Amino acid sequence: MSEIKRILYLDDEENNLFAFKALFRRDYEIFTTTSPQEAVRYLNENEVQVILSDQKMPEISGVEFFELTITDYPDAVRVLVTGYADIEAVIDAINKGQVYRYVTKPWDENDLRICIENSFDRYFSKIEIKRKNAELQELNDQLQKFIYSASHDMRAPLASIKGVLKVAVSEELSQKAREYFSLIEKSANRLDDYVQNIIHYYQNAQTETSIKPVDLKAMAESLVTQYQGFDVLEKFSIDLEVLSSTPFYTDEYRWRIILGNLLSNAIRYRDQAKSQGIIKINIIQNSEKAVMRFEENGVGMTADTLAQVRDMLQGSERKTLGSGLGLYLIREAVRRLSGSIKMDSTQGEGVAVTLEIPNLQ
Amino acid sequence: MSKVIIHLVDDNDIDIAVNSKLMKLAQIGDETRVYGNGRKFIDAIGEHRQELSAVSNIVLLDIMMPGMTGFETMEEFNKMDTSFIDHFDVFLISSTIDRNDIKRAEDTPRVHKILEKPLDVYFLKKLIEGLQD
Repeated sequence: MSEIKRILYLDDEENNLFAFKALFRRDYEIFTTTSPQEAVRYLNENEVQVILSDQKMPEISGVEFFELTITDYPDAVRVLVTGYADIEAVIDAINKGQVYRYVTKPWDENDLRICIENSFDRYFSKIEIKRKNAELQELNDQLQKFIYSASHDMRAPLASIKGVLKVAVSEELSQKAREYFSLIEKSANRLDDYVQNIIHYYQNAQTETSIKPVDLKAMAESLVTQYQGFDVLEKFSIDLEVLSSTPFYTDEYRWRIILGNLLSNAIRYRDQAKSQGIIKINIIQNSEKAVMRFEENGVGMTADTLAQVRDMLQGSERKTLGSGLGLYLIREAVRRLSGSIKMDSTQGEGVAVTLEIPNLQ
Repeated sequence: MSKVIIHLVDDNDIDIAVNSKLMKLAQIGDETRVYGNGRKFIDAIGEHRQELSAVSNIVLLDIMMPGMTGFETMEEFNKMDTSFIDHFDVFLISSTIDRNDIKRAEDTPRVHKILEKPLDVYFLKKLIEGLQD
């Protein structure tokens, strides 16, 4: 950024130009001209912070000159000089955001000086904000990249652990070994859910919705099998029923976020007092919409918790990373699918969720 | 039905071991061959053209590999002549499914789908059966 403070002043009356130059030449580098072409040439070759222009000129009006140069020199601060009360043009220009101040002729020296000083202040604070914003953007990009690659690097070995567990579950193992594996699996799943949600969190903000025909049955089945490890096979019965006829247009990725989070919560909040965890998923879909009913018999929620969860699901505040991330992701996914979600729960009896998603064909 | 050979291309030994075992459990394919990177895979199938042209080939190709990525491997693969690579069905595999990767996979000729690790072999089995119908 150049430290030289430059003013360009365009006016068809040479007397004004002389007077202006005499007044400010000790404080600023000043270029004055009666020719709009020359003014543009000067702007091309020099970094000008403040542009003054007379409004009423034979070739072009001051406002027109500002309009002409706004795209190429958006940062320069513009001051309109008006010889008479051409108030309409001034209002119009100020409203369009092209003009910062206006000065009436004949000018008062002190007013003009203050006006010029304010214009430079305005210019430098604008530039400073721009610089700070660029810095913030850069920092934010770096952070996102870091979190993304860190979660990816965490997910790869976790996927390997889960793979080994998948193989182990089919082996003949002692009861003790099954219990230990089950504990490992629980922790691995919990960590994996968290890591995956961080990934989803960052992808959600960045990616557009991609609408394609989706086989809801295959989608739900593949998700359910993902969760069928030691814990689930022994302690849960998962009942999946999908009635679908016509092709359903939706964003599969966001369905997976919703159903995946519901499943992992149901598994995590199993009620130990009940002999078996039951999860029932029922999807009915027609040409208009898909309705999913998701019921489980876990520990359920107190009225207070349910109210908080509903707030989270319906609210609009941006959730930061941390607890409740899964709910936030569900809400965002539902929103992007233009759907709605309702949740009911009684403590000790479990949770029931109804999801309605339109066919986005 | 012709013989089915599974080709696992992955730099991660654990995932290779797990996926080979899962293939066996799900009874997918008659034989499994493994390759530690994309280059080895491309070279090996080039050397066994005759043999592989007589069977069905399923390729499970990891995306994140040092050296040649799964996508770069596919570029090499798709340069081979059509009559040969017609005998192959390719699935990409990855531990993190990035949405950009899904998009890229859809734009890559001869890739059926991206699958997430750990592999859901029963889903894969269904997909493969669907191919043969």
